Amino acid sequence: MTAARKLINWLGLGLFALLGVAAVVPLFLIIGDIYIKGIDAINRLGGLWHFLTALPPTPFDEKGGIGPMLVGTLYMTALGALLGIAVGFPLGVYIGEMRREKFANVSRVAVNILVEFPTIVVGLFVYAVMSLAKQSLNQYLLDPLSKALSPVGGWITQFIGPLDGFNAYAGAAALAIIMIPYVALITASAYASIEQQLREAAYAIGGREFNALFVVLRKAVSRAVVTAALLGTAKIAGETAPLLFTAFGNTYYAPFTGPTAAVSLWIWYAAQTPYSVQIASAYGAAAVLLTIILIIFIVARIRG
Amino acid sequence: MFTWSKTFYQVTGGKIQVNYQSIGSGAGAAQFLGKNLDFGASDVPMPKDKYQQVAGQFVQFPVIIGSIVIAYNVPEIAYQKTGKYLNLTAEVIALIYMGNITQWCDPRIKALNPGLADKLPCKDIVAVHRSDGSGTTAAFTLYLSKAYPAWNQTVSWGYTVNWPADQKAKGTGAKGNEGVAQAVLQTPYSIGYIEFAYWATNKDKYDQVGGVAFVRNDNDGKYYFPTTENVAMGAAAGLERYIKKYGAPPAPDADWNPVSIELSNPPQGYPIVSFTYVFLWKDYAAEGYGDAATKAALLKAFFRWVLTEGQKPENIVEGYIPLPSSIANIGLEALNMVKP
Amino acid sequence: MLGLLLVVLIIPYLIAAYGLLFVKLRWGLRLFGAFIVATIGLLTAMFLVEAYPIIARDGVAVFLRTSWDPARESYGVLQALAGTVLTSAVAMALAMPMALGVAVTINEVLPARLRGIFGSLVDLTATMPTVIYGLWGLFVLGPTLQSLINYLPGGMMTSPYTLFTAGVLLAIMITPYAAAVIREGYALVPKPVEEAVYAVGATRFEAALIKLRYVRNYILGGFFLALGRAMGETVAVAMVVGGNYARFTTNIFESGVTISSLIALQFPNAASYQYMVPALFAGALLLTLFGLAINAAAIYIIQKWQI
Repeated sequence: MTAARKLINWLGLGLFALLGVAAVVPLFLIIGDIYIKGIDAINRLGGLWHFLTALPPTPFDEKGGIGPMLVGTLYMTALGALLGIAVGFPLGVYIGEMRREKFANVSRVAVNILVEFPTIVVGLFVYAVMSLAKQSLNQYLLDPLSKALSPVGGWITQFIGPLDGFNAYAGAAALAIIMIPYVALITASAYASIEQQLREAAYAIGGREFNALFVVLRKAVSRAVVTAALLGTAKIAGETAPLLFTAFGNTYYAPFTGPTAAVSLWIWYAAQTPYSVQIASAYGAAAVLLTIILIIFIVARIRG
Repeated sequence: MFTWSKTFYQVTGGKIQVNYQSIGSGAGAAQFLGKNLDFGASDVPMPKDKYQQVAGQFVQFPVIIGSIVIAYNVPEIAYQKTGKYLNLTAEVIALIYMGNITQWCDPRIKALNPGLADKLPCKDIVAVHRSDGSGTTAAFTLYLSKAYPAWNQTVSWGYTVNWPADQKAKGTGAKGNEGVAQAVLQTPYSIGYIEFAYWATNKDKYDQVGGVAFVRNDNDGKYYFPTTENVAMGAAAGLERYIKKYGAPPAPDADWNPVSIELSNPPQGYPIVSFTYVFLWKDYAAEGYGDAATKAALLKAFFRWVLTEGQKPENIVEGYIPLPSSIANIGLEALNMVKP
Repeated sequence: MLGLLLVVLIIPYLIAAYGLLFVKLRWGLRLFGAFIVATIGLLTAMFLVEAYPIIARDGVAVFLRTSWDPARESYGVLQALAGTVLTSAVAMALAMPMALGVAVTINEVLPARLRGIFGSLVDLTATMPTVIYGLWGLFVLGPTLQSLINYLPGGMMTSPYTLFTAGVLLAIMITPYAAAVIREGYALVPKPVEEAVYAVGATRFEAALIKLRYVRNYILGGFFLALGRAMGETVAVAMVVGGNYARFTTNIFESGVTISSLIALQFPNAASYQYMVPALFAGALLLTLFGLAINAAAIYIIQKWQI
């Protein structure tokens, strides 16, 4: 090996390393900042358990928490992620696997465009649909349904029942729409990158197309798909704008059929007040959110 | 509002939850009219065209008084350094935001501040405004419109305006009061308008880099510093002027746009004053709300508390000013108009 | 009723599509494609319907005007489009190299033990609520960039909050997305290929370049993901971009506005005006058209270079 190539090797790798570090330094700074301020805030505001369950603080309070916000975010993110993966994964398979088809390319363009929509607009769309549908939805479907389910117990009304204009399901729907393109694009990349030989081998072994694509090739693509699911879920857990006009937000524990709290909405609000106790609660909330996501990531990586 | 909601929740032993989210004054009015909300709150009264659509069906009343301060960042004349704050008039402020006064050493600024004239540096002024549509901008521009007619003609007032300073690249925007507050603190030689509360909780920081201006009330010629008393004085004086002009205090189901015009630039007191208004329907059942009777009763109980107990100093967060009883009474009267 | 039908039919449609996957795979997949195309169609239809009033009144002028004057009900979104283009360009120019850097660093430079941690930390930053990025930009990035730029000769940033600030912040935000995608691909390069590359005597750097070329599909996917994110980012950009609606500028060191942040900043109060909501949706429409144009260009380029 010549000296020149060795030099280029070190310079090139060094450049990549520099870029990688440059990408990551601000991120670490931000994370560090949040955890430092967040942990301090949680301690000041009453300790971890209190913070996770109590109601948010007013400027006069000394203690407070993000209980309702946590519940709301968990519920809406879970529902949104479920729907996002359920639609995003097959969509990604379609786009990636059947690239030769015209319609697949049309779908790909559609997905690319969906990714670039301002997230607030997606929220407005769901709001518009909700406004149109609310009356008849409640009348024909949800009222009778909740009456039919009432023997199960009063608690069911927390989840199913006639919907207000602002509710958790609208929020989840907006989040799902936002998540779908992310899952789809990453899944598509995964399927598109399978070399022809591997694909042929899979078909040879698997027989039916379904078997080939999903069972035999599973190992090849599962990492990418898991990444897609995780990334998408993490993204929507932190989204604010689409929830503004769908879930609206809440500062109390309340049924999911009405305005629902979210951690991101609280951070949005509290960080922009001039009152230090509320700003502190915003940092604490951010730290909690990051930690939850981190746990999900680690668990998924270990298992998958 | 959130503070009131939580205190009320505690006062009623956790029985009544009033969920308030700040989504913007315009959205507050719009969602209320769209009947997605049980009540709406806004920094400006119901706009005229919307009012006409629902006149007589709803009431609006103020629940608290707010104000706007003019903060500046000029290290050479920082309060901590010189012990003095700047004096400014509506005209000078307007000219700065119009891009006509471009440097801090402009003779017009010097003329108002003889004690600081020699220290004012010849640096470009950066005029900071809100980038988002905001009730704060509305109150600020309404004040400038009334106090300086040339502003009214070129720019007018509203949630967002076409800032002439931007066109001349002498201005910049920031999101939220927090954004403007930060922008002023971080940008040397800048000036910005922020809600009273954002300055009141951070006075020291501003005093280090500049300070907050005494604003002259052009009606009585005196310079007022933004304090709770001066603002209350302004609000009361504005209301008095309305009563003198129209003969009686405003009715809760009337159009309040003339009121906010009279309240702006009042005869005495700190001249930049704003109210936060609440909108309620008169008849929730007729408007199609489910569970109307309970809702109406709850809302009445809550706002009755807000207008009485809620106005006590221990329930008012820093930076806001309680209503004088004359104005609070209008609200109580409004509640009586809400059925049942 | 339309709304009810819409909502009620979605679940059965999806269930049917899933069922079809087991029976006739290809048709099942196509149904999902149809779903997303229909969604975009509906969204665009909504834009058209909402934007109609201002297009009826002003024609295409709203797309060409560059000032925003609610008091006179005169709106223009061209300066916002310029802002979107400029901030996205800055963001992508910074983010793609960084994403490649992250992918290569993780897979080639770091020892195996550190890979997992570094990778997870990068992924974690994708989850940061955008409002946190916005706050950091507001308090830290804006002022830092301003000092930095003004320190260089000829640098002129009068405000900490400019298109450049937004572009840099976006770059930091979107890098994890592009990086995650590229990393996935990179890690999936088959062993035989890797062994072959080293067998012919490549240095690690040369191997990295070859592998990157191998995963160009992923890089493309990551590119579009990041670009879409950059164009659609509302909250963080809104907090640092500077809010200058009144002037069309191509100077990234001036305050400006993007279409996404314009909508986020103005929508809450837009209902108080007669034509503002339509104007904002006209902006969304413009953004959609722009996105279509970019996609068309990309397809053309790809076909030409036969990626």
